[in-house]
Amino acid sequence: MVIGGGHNGLTAAAYLARAGAKVVVLERRPFVGGACITEEPWPGFRINTYAYLAGMLSGQVIEELGLARHGYRTIPHDPEGFVPFPDGRSLSFWADTARTQKEIAQFSRHDAEAYPRYLRHWAEILKLLEPILGGNPPSLRELAERFRGPEYERLLRDLVLRSAEDFLSEWFESEELKAALGFSACVGAFTSPRRPGTAYVLVHNSVTQLGGRAGAWGFVVGGMGRTTEALARAAQAFGAEIRTGVGVRSLQVQGGRVTGVETADGRRIESRVVASGVDIKRTLLALAPPDTVPKEVLRQLRGFKTYATTLKFNAALRRLPKFTAKPEVPGPHHQASVTIGPSLDYLDRAYAMAAVGHLSDPPFAEILFQSAADPSVAPPGHHTMTCSVKYAPRELVGTSWADHRAAAAELVLSTLEEYAPDIREVVEQAQLVTPEDIETILGMTGGSCFHGDLTPDQMFSLRPFPGASDYRLPIPGLYLCGSSAHPGGGVTGVPGRNAAQVMLADLHQTPGSGPR
Amino acid sequence: MLNTGAGLPPPVSSHDVIVIGGGHNGLVAAAYLGKAGAQVLVLERRPIVGGAAVTEEPWPGYRINTFSYVTGLLRPQIVEDLQLGSYGYETILYDPQSFVPFPNGTSLSLWNDTERTQKEIAKFSKKDAAIYPKYEEYWDNVLDLVEPLLLAPPVPLQELVGMFEGPQAEELVRELFLLSAWDFLDEWFESDEVKISFATNAVIGEMCGPRTPGTAYVLAHHNIGVLDGQRKVWGFSKGGMGRISEALAAAARHYGVEIRTGVGVRRILVQNGKAVGVETAAGEQFHAKAIASNLDVKRTLLELAPPDAVPPEVRRQVERFRTRGAALKFNAALNDLPEFTAAPGRPGPHHKGAIELAPSMEYLEKAFDDAKYGNFSTHPFLDIEFQSASDPSMAPPGKHVMTCFVMYAPRDLSGTTWSKFKPTAGERCLDTIAEYAPDIRKQVTRWQVVSPEDIENTLGMSGGNIFQGDITPDQIFSYRPLLGWANYRTPVPGLYFCGSTAHPGGGVTGAPGYNGAHAILEDLPALKKG
Repeated sequence: MVIGGGHNGLTAAAYLARAGAKVVVLERRPFVGGACITEEPWPGFRINTYAYLAGMLSGQVIEELGLARHGYRTIPHDPEGFVPFPDGRSLSFWADTARTQKEIAQFSRHDAEAYPRYLRHWAEILKLLEPILGGNPPSLRELAERFRGPEYERLLRDLVLRSAEDFLSEWFESEELKAALGFSACVGAFTSPRRPGTAYVLVHNSVTQLGGRAGAWGFVVGGMGRTTEALARAAQAFGAEIRTGVGVRSLQVQGGRVTGVETADGRRIESRVVASGVDIKRTLLALAPPDTVPKEVLRQLRGFKTYATTLKFNAALRRLPKFTAKPEVPGPHHQASVTIGPSLDYLDRAYAMAAVGHLSDPPFAEILFQSAADPSVAPPGHHTMTCSVKYAPRELVGTSWADHRAAAAELVLSTLEEYAPDIREVVEQAQLVTPEDIETILGMTGGSCFHGDLTPDQMFSLRPFPGASDYRLPIPGLYLCGSSAHPGGGVTGVPGRNAAQVMLADLHQTPGSGPR
Repeated sequence: MLNTGAGLPPPVSSHDVIVIGGGHNGLVAAAYLGKAGAQVLVLERRPIVGGAAVTEEPWPGYRINTFSYVTGLLRPQIVEDLQLGSYGYETILYDPQSFVPFPNGTSLSLWNDTERTQKEIAKFSKKDAAIYPKYEEYWDNVLDLVEPLLLAPPVPLQELVGMFEGPQAEELVRELFLLSAWDFLDEWFESDEVKISFATNAVIGEMCGPRTPGTAYVLAHHNIGVLDGQRKVWGFSKGGMGRISEALAAAARHYGVEIRTGVGVRRILVQNGKAVGVETAAGEQFHAKAIASNLDVKRTLLELAPPDAVPPEVRRQVERFRTRGAALKFNAALNDLPEFTAAPGRPGPHHKGAIELAPSMEYLEKAFDDAKYGNFSTHPFLDIEFQSASDPSMAPPGKHVMTCFVMYAPRDLSGTTWSKFKPTAGERCLDTIAEYAPDIRKQVTRWQVVSPEDIENTLGMSGGNIFQGDITPDQIFSYRPLLGWANYRTPVPGLYFCGSTAHPGGGVTGAPGYNGAHAILEDLPALKKG
């Protein structure tokens, strides 16, 4: 049984069913997908309400589950990134390195020359880490033994103990370039690129591939929801049963083992093995009976950080907005990830403000106009815009999200206005998804869309806590198959795939007597 | 003597080892080298030895620990090996270890006795009081692990991590290297008052806030103190911090070490790629088989070593070694001890220990936020001692001294300079103290502000950083001061580190001096052969 039909839950279910297990997925909402869905809040406008960009989904998962057969298709975007600056300049990142170098040269010749070397260095790091991120997490000791010698010692320091700014400053001098690259250090963790540990966040957000090209990001044709629809179809094709509208109230534990669940309407469903696609806090603090979780684990859960605070501002547009830094409409930059975050200082200040309980002002944001690349998501001539805005703390000091919605929306618009002055004219309809909404609608603790921050203290064998990183939770028969487990958040499918393999190993090891 | 013209001018004298800088670590290194039979010369730029561990008399009769102000970290083995007791080093263990007053008139004291501290903590949280002995035990276990690593060259981090196995060990790595003090303390305690009482040790001297990842390690660093056989404690050096350096200098002289004060070093002499001596500010030259630098890595390799002796890649690394000043000292002469609202009466036991003015975790983090952008904290954190309350030798009869370690004070101020800003900074310190001890202005007769700029200029510490380099996890063990040069040797053969810039870092520990001396002793036979 899998609790929660998010993309990882569906991935786990598909792998389990594919290996011949009898699988049922219970999803509380009327449809599957979790945070990876596309909705139509306004007729004809298909909006990626939460997750918004493809690239992290494991190539193995796509292939092994045959997702293409079930309608999963992607469009890479080029340029991949577009960063406008307040002085009217901008920086675009193209698939073609030489073209990107030309862009960088506007800011620094030195950096333009260093860029291809940086990309090579980065590719080497990813080659080293990808197998680790794809598989079960090794223990710190295994890691230490695998990576001996001064070269790795430096890498360990740079990626785990230092900040993204330190890392980038080794390579580049231009503040603009550092900000453009350092932006991803703030995605997935509540931190600033000046804080130690953020170089690792950069790595996590770089393990992507799209259409066979490593490091590429893009759109899912028709919206992110197509990913989970394909996963659900694949799971069903392998024989998994998916029940929507069935919330789980609690886990049933008997003789120290998980035996099934009780649903919100009081029914009991039995299962030899239960995989939770829900975050670790919800799994062990809300669903597990209180006396079944060891005290020491409760202490560790208290320390597990679920900040990663994002606000979504989604809109239906009359037309694409005009950016001061690139007046062309439509331009290639409309297909890119447009990031508002012109300096590391800007990002750091945004963090500092949120750290004391305020919505960052000004905030930084990642904006996508999927319709510019994929017209199927908007009525003819119209467009969609999704903005991922940070940082929005789950709890606001001196106000509540209910009271702060209008002010927050206004802040987003006025921030965008600095770079695209016609933004108010082009917005037809808009919706705001607060961290509180993410928590209550999706059930993600703290509104953390990564099921827990992706900082070094919460990765590899430390995720979700030492002793549980192999997807087995302290209650026998209970497994974790969501983003709270290694390698963490993002639409990767990896926690689901890894957890399924661990469950299958346990199911096979002790036939008849049940898993560990 | 004739100058042959081709080589260097003839040396004034020749030794086995020259120690540049007579700070406490330089003196420790010199003493151990002398003890092993080496001919050692210590050159100190200032008229007194001790570096940051000095006691001065800015006002007649008032003995002030100008910079470093409490003892506890000095390794017991060094005290014993060098018999510092017989040279006048004596300590006064203080109790309470800290007294934290809160604006609402309550306070929390951390006593040397666990049960007594539990009672204090129980005022704020019974749960926290119950867990406190476990917290103490946790640090005892950490100490067991860390202590053997101090008087030895650092092991690579991988090796260190490789020593640990199992979830409990992984937990320790997570806590000590990756967590912020805030997160770490959150996992232990629920009361903010309790958390802040422990948190100040996690940021002291560092340009880091309690939320900065890695500060849990800084907490560990300040928990390695041993005094009178008791662990994790601090105390005073009787007569002032300078007594430590004086005792070390006496011990060194006993072993035949020559110490010259008022002799600054202008440059390190390098011949055929090897360090062979030094040239003083006055132009004198001294030759030696090995040079031990008690100065920080930046000053040593970027200023004293000839530019062509240091490979460009190493230079770049040195430049990026963080030496951010974070604190100023506010020292004063007092008529009498001030009276604290939260603990009326004078002298109270709290006057004899450390007093921490930082009433909440958020207060501390906000103080750091100010400094990040180049401002002296609007509401600074002060660590205050009245040594005269337990050691009357520090002040004229009936009078008192006060030293305050004040954070956060960035080395470079935005929009002003330290020389202009010092009076404002001093007034702000007084205002802050007055919130807890309203009569402070009545008691203070004289005061001085020692800014990060003063620390840099007077002591030669880059950036005014009191540790000769931040002791964050990316700059400790085999990363300190440089990856590949953490064993006290430098890219210039014959040149060694023996100061806080090397493992295990800052504080009056003596450990870098001890380790540096042993690295030199290992190499000396080969160096003597040439």
